[in-house]
Amino acid sequence: MFSSLRRRAAVMLLGLALPVALAACSAPGGDQGDAQKSDGPIKIALVDAQSGQLSSLGAWELKGARLAIDEWNAAGGINGRQIELGVFDDQGDPTVGTNLARKIASEGYIAMIGTAESAVTIAMAPILRDSKIPNITSGQSPGLVAVKSPFLFLNGPTSVTYDETLAKYIVDTKGLKKIAMITNNGGYGKGEHDAFTKSLAARGVTPIEDQVVTADQKDFSAALTTIRQKNPEVIFIGAEEVQSGLIVKQARDLGITVPFAGAAPQGTPVFADTAGTANVEGTIVSSPYLSNEVSEASKKFAAAYKAKFNEDAEMHGAKAYDGTQILLNALKTSNVATGQALADAIRATKYAGLLGDFAFDDTGVGIFATRIGTIQGGKLVAAG
Amino acid sequence: MQVFLQTFIGGMSLGAIYALVALGFSLVFRTMGLVNFSHGNVVMIGAYLASTFYLSTKLPFALAMVLAVGGTGLIGVIIERVLRPLENKDFDLMLIGTIGFGIVLEALAIIIWGATGNAVPNPVASAPLQLFGLRIRTYDLVVLAIAATAAVLLVFFLQSTKRGAAMQAVAMDHEAATAVGIHVGRSNALAFMLGAGLAALAGGLVGPLLYVNPTMGGALGIKGFAAAILGGFGSIPGAIVGGFAIGVLDAFTAGHFQGYSELVTFLVFTVVIMIRPTGIFGERTVNRA
Repeated sequence: MFSSLRRRAAVMLLGLALPVALAACSAPGGDQGDAQKSDGPIKIALVDAQSGQLSSLGAWELKGARLAIDEWNAAGGINGRQIELGVFDDQGDPTVGTNLARKIASEGYIAMIGTAESAVTIAMAPILRDSKIPNITSGQSPGLVAVKSPFLFLNGPTSVTYDETLAKYIVDTKGLKKIAMITNNGGYGKGEHDAFTKSLAARGVTPIEDQVVTADQKDFSAALTTIRQKNPEVIFIGAEEVQSGLIVKQARDLGITVPFAGAAPQGTPVFADTAGTANVEGTIVSSPYLSNEVSEASKKFAAAYKAKFNEDAEMHGAKAYDGTQILLNALKTSNVATGQALADAIRATKYAGLLGDFAFDDTGVGIFATRIGTIQGGKLVAAG
Repeated sequence: MQVFLQTFIGGMSLGAIYALVALGFSLVFRTMGLVNFSHGNVVMIGAYLASTFYLSTKLPFALAMVLAVGGTGLIGVIIERVLRPLENKDFDLMLIGTIGFGIVLEALAIIIWGATGNAVPNPVASAPLQLFGLRIRTYDLVVLAIAATAAVLLVFFLQSTKRGAAMQAVAMDHEAATAVGIHVGRSNALAFMLGAGLAALAGGLVGPLLYVNPTMGGALGIKGFAAAILGGFGSIPGAIVGGFAIGVLDAFTAGHFQGYSELVTFLVFTVVIMIRPTGIFGERTVNRA
């Protein structure tokens, strides 16, 4: 009986470990020669969560990147070579991400788009730096800048910019000082927490309540009831789309009526669907891409996106589109360079994108402004 | 005090879900001595079926739930049928078989419904009840009522019907049960079907509380499994008590330990299991290993 139990445990462990081991085996090795070939397609990898709770981000990012690449391919590619996009699923998991970093290095991809998850990107960054593969991420955590990799670029502002703009609007413009915070302890939530607290501190404001939840927590009764008792005027959320939605939904059920404020996730349809359209009314959002109507370029992008994928474009798709355009422009100006030369070309690229005018600094950040919008009638509109 | 009670209420609603998941785990375990590792994924399939019937075909929520429970029960029967040749022969392969089924179900869900998932609006539209400054969601009450009804029906079935008694007999001694003319395979199929039905009930009910996506089964499965172990694996009252215990424990650790809540929940769980390895209701009807 005992030995059989032990055997069963061993088999169970084996069952759990097997997929991991297989993934690890396939990672190293492969041939390194492909990258230097000067004919055949140009291989670009897209690494993002295509499954799991963060997969909506991955799906949007894939669409944005796909749109940009298809436009270039339709126009004849770069130097007569077509661009090939390899799609990899990191499941939003840093461990899977590091395995994929080795995989794309060994399979001869010369650049990478993604990921949309800061924690995954940070985990992959050292391997990509060693393999000299430039990476344009959609992450926005200040931790990405702290990695100090010359091969890592952001296709949007960092949390510092998002939250500084938000704090400026809430405290300086609106004069709201009683602010409660609820953030998760994942890579994104932690970055938001630190950046927003810092921006508040610079204005002499201390949050009246600072609740931290875990990244896969489902019930927020305790945190939200504590917040409700402090009667805040606005509640800051630092969590991904689905969790933010659940927090707002439960807050409304608990009788909290004040508006919520946050960065990019609060501007997405997934957030609004999860929370319920009526519940998100009045939410204050700091985003570099408020709507598809802001400029001629964004209208054109949104129309092409709608025609191709039969759904409305949103910020993450726009960011990935901008990032991919920058990469392709850099590939063109550098005559399809790889490694350090390609990274230098990306850094030198000045690009007027959907999010604004990109000009990269040494930290790999190319854009330093967001705008404030509020959700009104279910739509995100610029705050007057 | 208000925070305390409100936290308790929040924990009870997810606790009811964990209890339903734990019931499914325990039912299959007590009948077959098998841990069904695909159970969490079956919960997810149930959630998808219920939300699909409810959202796409615009059926009333109750009817969508009934269809989902039925459809998912059928999946349970299929799983048992495929694994049946291994029954009483190779237990380890059977365990791995359930893990495999879990992976298959998740992949199927991604193929059918896509990887992104969808939000399910609350089917009970009325505003939360207010009681001494506490707010109780009407939907939570519905969840609790359905969970309680399911538990009572299950106990009634096991103790007062012939089929239920036959299942108990198989659980105690499957060879003796065969000797007196009970069809063990059919009994096992019934256990799997009921387990899957309970999973679908949990999944369908949790849909409007959470977000339905192909990986939602993981966290629910682990918490449900922990609930079953905590209550005493195989015990029906144990699964119910364990479910609520995990739900409420989770809610309170979230309030007190914030970012470290998950850690504290499972630390408490581990300590309890070390003190009482058989769980709270430490009956062990089955030992077929």
